[in-house]
Amino acid sequence: MDALVVAQLLNVVYGIAILAVLALGLAIVFGFLGVLNIAHGELVMLGAYSAWVVQSAGLPFPVAVPLALLACGLLGWALEVGLIRPLYARPFDTLLATWGVSLLLRKSAEAVWGLGYKSLTVPVPGSADVFGASYPRYRLLLILACLACVGALAVWFLRSGTGTRIKAMVANSELAQAVGIRTDRLARNTFVAGCALAGLGGVMVAPLTPVHPFMGIDYILESFFVLVVGGLGSLTGLLAGAGIIGGFGSIVSAISDRTAGYTTVLIIAIVFLWLRPRGLLVRP
Amino acid sequence: MASWFAHSAAVVVVLGLLPFGIGAFTAYQLALYFLYAIAALGVGLCWGRAGFLPLGQAMFVGLGGYLAGLSLIHFKDSALLVLLLPLAAILPGVLAFGLGLILFRGRRESGPYFALITLALSLLAFQIANGWNSVTGGFNGLKGIPALPGLDDYSHAYWISAAALAAAIIGTSWLLRAPLGVVWRAIAQNERRAAFLGFDVARAKATLFGISGVLGGVAGALYAPQQNLVTPQLVGFTLSAELVIWAAVGGRGSLYGPILGAIVIGLLTAELRDRLPYWEVLLAVIFIVVVRWVPQGLVGLVAPVIARLRRSERRKLIPVPPRPPAARGATLAFDGVSAHAGSVQILDALSVAVDDTGITCLIGPNGAGKTSCFNALTGELPVTAGTVRFDGRAITSFTPTAVTRLGVARKFQIPNVFPGLGVADNINLALWGSRAQPRQLLNPSLHGWRSPLLEDLARRYPFLAEGDRLAGDLSHGERQILELAMALAMEPRLLLLDEPCAGLSPAETRAVIEVIRWAKSRLAAAIVIIEHDMSLVKELADHVLVLHQGRLLAAGNVAEVQANPAVRAVYAGGTK
Amino acid sequence: MQNRSITRRGFVAGATALVAAPAIVRHARGADPFKLGLFYAASGPAALFGPTQKASAELAVEQINKSGGIMGRQIQLFLADAGGPPAESTKTAVRLMLNEKCDAFIGSHDSATREALVATIRARIPYIYTPIYEGGECAPNTYVLADTPDQQVRPSIELLTKEKGVKSVYLIGNDYVWPRKTNDRVKQYLTAGGGKVIGEEYVPLGAPNKFEEAVTRIKGAKPDAVVVTLVGADNVNFNRTFAGFGLDKDILRASMLLEENTLLGIGAENSKQLYNCMSYFSTVPGAAHDEFKAAYKAKFGEKAPQLSIIGVDCYAGVYCAKALVEKAKGTDASALMAASEGLEIRTATGPVTMRNRHPDKPMYLAECEATTFKIIKTFEGVKSGETCKQA
Repeated sequence: MDALVVAQLLNVVYGIAILAVLALGLAIVFGFLGVLNIAHGELVMLGAYSAWVVQSAGLPFPVAVPLALLACGLLGWALEVGLIRPLYARPFDTLLATWGVSLLLRKSAEAVWGLGYKSLTVPVPGSADVFGASYPRYRLLLILACLACVGALAVWFLRSGTGTRIKAMVANSELAQAVGIRTDRLARNTFVAGCALAGLGGVMVAPLTPVHPFMGIDYILESFFVLVVGGLGSLTGLLAGAGIIGGFGSIVSAISDRTAGYTTVLIIAIVFLWLRPRGLLVRP
Repeated sequence: MASWFAHSAAVVVVLGLLPFGIGAFTAYQLALYFLYAIAALGVGLCWGRAGFLPLGQAMFVGLGGYLAGLSLIHFKDSALLVLLLPLAAILPGVLAFGLGLILFRGRRESGPYFALITLALSLLAFQIANGWNSVTGGFNGLKGIPALPGLDDYSHAYWISAAALAAAIIGTSWLLRAPLGVVWRAIAQNERRAAFLGFDVARAKATLFGISGVLGGVAGALYAPQQNLVTPQLVGFTLSAELVIWAAVGGRGSLYGPILGAIVIGLLTAELRDRLPYWEVLLAVIFIVVVRWVPQGLVGLVAPVIARLRRSERRKLIPVPPRPPAARGATLAFDGVSAHAGSVQILDALSVAVDDTGITCLIGPNGAGKTSCFNALTGELPVTAGTVRFDGRAITSFTPTAVTRLGVARKFQIPNVFPGLGVADNINLALWGSRAQPRQLLNPSLHGWRSPLLEDLARRYPFLAEGDRLAGDLSHGERQILELAMALAMEPRLLLLDEPCAGLSPAETRAVIEVIRWAKSRLAAAIVIIEHDMSLVKELADHVLVLHQGRLLAAGNVAEVQANPAVRAVYAGGTK
Repeated sequence: MQNRSITRRGFVAGATALVAAPAIVRHARGADPFKLGLFYAASGPAALFGPTQKASAELAVEQINKSGGIMGRQIQLFLADAGGPPAESTKTAVRLMLNEKCDAFIGSHDSATREALVATIRARIPYIYTPIYEGGECAPNTYVLADTPDQQVRPSIELLTKEKGVKSVYLIGNDYVWPRKTNDRVKQYLTAGGGKVIGEEYVPLGAPNKFEEAVTRIKGAKPDAVVVTLVGADNVNFNRTFAGFGLDKDILRASMLLEENTLLGIGAENSKQLYNCMSYFSTVPGAAHDEFKAAYKAKFGEKAPQLSIIGVDCYAGVYCAKALVEKAKGTDASALMAASEGLEIRTATGPVTMRNRHPDKPMYLAECEATTFKIIKTFEGVKSGETCKQA
């Protein structure tokens, strides 16, 4: 039974890590810019399809990463310029606008690739032995990759000048402009980065889930719940939220079953939204 | 009033004649879309009028549907149905009201969090509907629901739905014209100000949410006997999303917007779905276009035309019910009050007393805690130690609304009015907040309240009589005076003025000083003014309180304070 | 049984009575088209199968029309989207019955929509329901071509217990009526074969499900086989996770709704020791099937929608309508129901016989080989197990 417990613990860690990376793009877009980007799930879907395209063309899997970043980044740029920019101060309007966009993206994916499930081969097959439990190598790799990704981003954000400028823009946009920060360009780049990161998440999960035009819907709700529980505007908040939502979801699923796990996630989200609407770790 | 009758009659006539123009089958189709329109109306009201977006309206529709379905199945042909069916429609509203009270209490702006909570709740409701096989029939739903007794013909479906829609429209239009409708719009624009006029903001929002819940419940309760089947899809997110989309495309702020949105888009979807392969794309494009370029929705396109046709209503003017005249103003006391925000100590065991005679000026350098005093008094700053007393009564943990109801009026430093409402509405809100019972807010005659105090004021400032002019269109000075007028209209016993002359020209400043003097003579109120401008203080103050770093530094009349060496040191930059 | 006193729906009763009567008169004239309404998944969660459903139906219509139609009347196919909520489908049904005066309906959609349609159609016109389902539909003038749990489960479980020596089984499925009814049968045949169920769990339908925890649980329980009654993306996800954790080496899997699209999603590396028993796979041998596939390819070319049981069932649905009407010499409900007993219906893989308004059909047991199905055993004339009375 010991190996079983280790395996379930690894499941919990995996659940938290993957949730953190998938919500990362939304954390940036919603947390810093206040844009309720419902199309975030579709950007993940595009990233997953990029991985499939790369693998079908016979290219090595890592090529999918720059492809997804590029594709989703470009799409994010187009969205920001064409649709989002005038809506920054209006979260409900961004919700509606990106809703329509997500519908269009789903239909476009359907038109290009059809509704069927695409299957990718896992780039790192097989299992490894971790403390007596046999766990799939690719998932272990993902755990490390997720932590590295979020960690690197956090370090960059804390140390770099751009990170400080973003913090300034979020705290007081007018004042930031007054001291010479190009907030319109900064906002656009931030949005593009958020979209590109969503695509990265899609590449990561692509070998593990069925890739089809409707897959994005599964990620969007959980991502929002992660953010509202953990607190907007900080990466530690993202990790905290992923830890709580992903952790509780996985633990309850492991002990009881998936229905209980899903219901628990919903109830936790509701309780947090009600009692601590600003999230656990509030930006001071 | 007359126009409301005319409007209601027109609605009944149009709905009554419609089936003869469009044919039996289209009328039957409309029977379903009328129900969706009623539910969408609920969404539009909450979102467009009061500024919060319910993303889980389908939860109430589904609840009404399941309750009605179960009643019809188990109590078929019984007389109990007369009680049970309306209950099936109303219970979702009660649930919504309760939810609203819980969710809105103590929370200043709902923002997207309310939307996400309602979304999560509706997802939870969907899981329950899906999983509770014994009661709800699970995934396949509650089937075999009989029709309403005696009304089982297909042609009846249209009349039942049309009657419900007419009732919904007529009821809602009454509500929107009533003072309560103005209160909701005020809350959407400036919740803080509404609370400081004495309105229980949480209860007002919860009431609207409850009404939208009833609309959803009615839609669901009529859906069950019409379709003979209630599936979890009626509770699900897709329907909630569609209701929001219909409200948005039709025009969320208006009465007819959500209704037209539901009917037009719903019918369009039903027609296109079988004929056009990529109909969802067309819908998405329409949707994006509306959201981005026509935010008022389809109705917004014709709104200017309608506005031109409508004349402002003439109302019967009635004098406002008088408040029991106060013998004297209130006394205010701070007993060792402390408050902090994070690690910064804002008020440090502050003990002051304000008696009821004359004007007290509160002065002190920046950061001394003057505005924080007002905040602590009115319940916006949590007090960690000490007591605040109003007329000897401890009010330390009272909410702003409760404090206002005791007879406290506050004017903020930056003019805090309702920019999207007319001057008349702004003033009326001040009158209603302090005098109207909640039930009276349903009475349209309250629009005609006039206060003799304000009529005097309007003689000096004619712009106060320009009732239709939007408060947002007033100049800065005019807005300051409007806010002052609103505070005075409340006939408070304690008047708190936070830098009333900030940003005014010398002429405007003179005007405000005159108003304050005049108020002192007309009202039996204690007046506390925060001021920086020493010339003003000299003109107005009977007493002066000097604050420094959250403590009382000096008290007395102007001369005494000016001569005080400690005060001088602080102002000249001495001790810190 | 259903409430036969038609006190409500006077509208439909009146209108479709007017419809049914002239139909008999029309048949004598033989020139009017035979209007067939097809309710299929043009949108919604099952839209994946939509193109195949439409294509199969169109192929059948073309073939029948070329050989003279139904009793001399050319078939006119009306397409209706059943992917939305049941209320939408019932409205379309009323429109097709009233405005277009359709003579018969074919439905390939979920059970909730089926029950709504049955309540709306009220046996006025024949309604043929085709996809896999949980059994139990006995409404009058309703004919089911779907696989029932009785047909699917027995061959699979007998394979597991008798040939593979399976003793312990873990059940996992989506939480709604079809998996639960199917699992009831599984338990029945399993106990009869000397096996037992050591775990049973259900995951919510329509929620974003991950299966790491379930798979780890299964690993700990160490069953000999897992019976999977998941559908759609959940089915793909579970199987990929299962194989990803390496469980496919030691534990057999039997899935109950696994067709070509799902198998493509599962992928070649993840489909070892995966079995399924249904009445149609694209690799079923036989002359009738080859003929069907050739005709299908000829009509739709290389880009034809993927053949799958949910889709190809519509082909049989159209032929069922033809067989019923021709044997009953008209569309009178009681004549049709009498004619349905013992009726032979042409399907894509050969003829099936209808009893109790359900078909006795050949079932094929398949093992997955990369992304195709290898038929390892054929069971002829498997009874549906339904006992619908003649109304």
